[in-house]
Amino acid sequence: MIPRYQRILFWSLFAGIFLMSAFLLRGCQQAHKRLAALNDATPIAAPTATSTEDVTLYLANDTDASITPTTESLALPQAPSLRARTLLDHLLSAYSLPTSKHPLQSGLAVDDVFLLNEPANTPDRPSTSSSETSSPQARQLAIVNLRGSFVDNHPSGIQVEALTLQSIIGTLHAALPEVTSIRFLVDGQPHDTLAGHADLLRTYPAVDTTVHPAPPTETPQL
Amino acid sequence: MTLPAKPIAARLLLALLTSLAALPASAQQPLPRTVIFLDPAHGGSDPGARLSDNLPEKTVTLSFAARLRSALSASGFSVITTRDSDPSAAFTTDQRAEIANHSHPTACLILHATAGGNGIHIITSDLAPPDDSYADTRHAIPWDTAQSASIPQSVALANTLGLALLHARLPVLLTRSSLRPLDNLTCPAIAIEIAPLTPDDGDTTPVSDANYQQQIAQAIATGLTTWRRNLGAPVGVTR
Repeated sequence: MIPRYQRILFWSLFAGIFLMSAFLLRGCQQAHKRLAALNDATPIAAPTATSTEDVTLYLANDTDASITPTTESLALPQAPSLRARTLLDHLLSAYSLPTSKHPLQSGLAVDDVFLLNEPANTPDRPSTSSSETSSPQARQLAIVNLRGSFVDNHPSGIQVEALTLQSIIGTLHAALPEVTSIRFLVDGQPHDTLAGHADLLRTYPAVDTTVHPAPPTETPQL
Repeated sequence: MTLPAKPIAARLLLALLTSLAALPASAQQPLPRTVIFLDPAHGGSDPGARLSDNLPEKTVTLSFAARLRSALSASGFSVITTRDSDPSAAFTTDQRAEIANHSHPTACLILHATAGGNGIHIITSDLAPPDDSYADTRHAIPWDTAQSASIPQSVALANTLGLALLHARLPVLLTRSSLRPLDNLTCPAIAIEIAPLTPDDGDTTPVSDANYQQQIAQAIATGLTTWRRNLGAPVGVTR
């Protein structure tokens, strides 16, 4: 006669074996599904065809303090803000190349570019009176939000800082003609200067900043 | 005792003739001294650019300002400076502009130094000259664009000093930039940024070199003398 406690132990062990088998079987099925999903080559979203386009970069040269427009082919997003930010990031990253004539430290420079519509009947200040006019309904203010790391590592000097700003302004003006004025922020806050000199608190007119400084002349200018 | 009438009359006549003779001389007295405003940039807690490991820009601008002040004084200019030492709390750019605008100088020179570039950079404000609607002097002058009305004179001043530096065989670049307090000044104003002298075939002369600074100071004094002569009569005089 088998004692009762032995029968209870036997059936308990048998039930345990059954439950463990079911648990392992279920785990194997789930693992198989996971691996099968990883091998699925179906694209999540249909790819968009991005074609390159010609853009004008206003490149600075420290040697002769010039700004020269240069045309390059780039693939840019269509959304204007994203487009402006991508363009400026490309421009400023070009200055970190070893062959750059306006060397800047590498790294991301622009956090965001915001485009705000300006009232059509706002009178220009004297400083912006020479800016090129566009249709009243298309006037926009571009706010370039620079990264603090970019500003902290920018070389300090009147000329070198002015060239960076002129390069940004000219490039934005060429890519987004509806932008008539440009302001700068650093990490989302107003900032006095770029690196101790060039004024970042004023609103700059968006104009063609091509410049090739001429030497002093003997002709009286008064 | 009676005084002799003839000698007294003769002395009175002589004094009268002497004073009459002195009249044309006083009409030809030297012109009032021309006032130049010097602003050695930065100072105090603002060191400016780091030109080398232990040479801040504020030190170079101060030493150059001292040399330029001596050269200008020797050329007959009166000089006003915003600092002749390194105070713990230097003037802000707005305060510097206020000092300059209240002293009505003939020319304002903002002094800077940099570690990049070559030679001397002469910078004028890149504000646009005022259009006709702002030509009326009865309008209040906006602080941020106060320099706008003086842009033509500032450009001419930059050209004159540029020529003087070229004659002294120093490389010069004339550029434009937006800079405080340059944009807030109502006088003909330029910023002078001294960069190292880097000739194609030779050693680089740092901005802290005394001879280099003296050469620049002397050339600027010569240029300002030409500028004063071209003006005909001084605009700002000592009060």
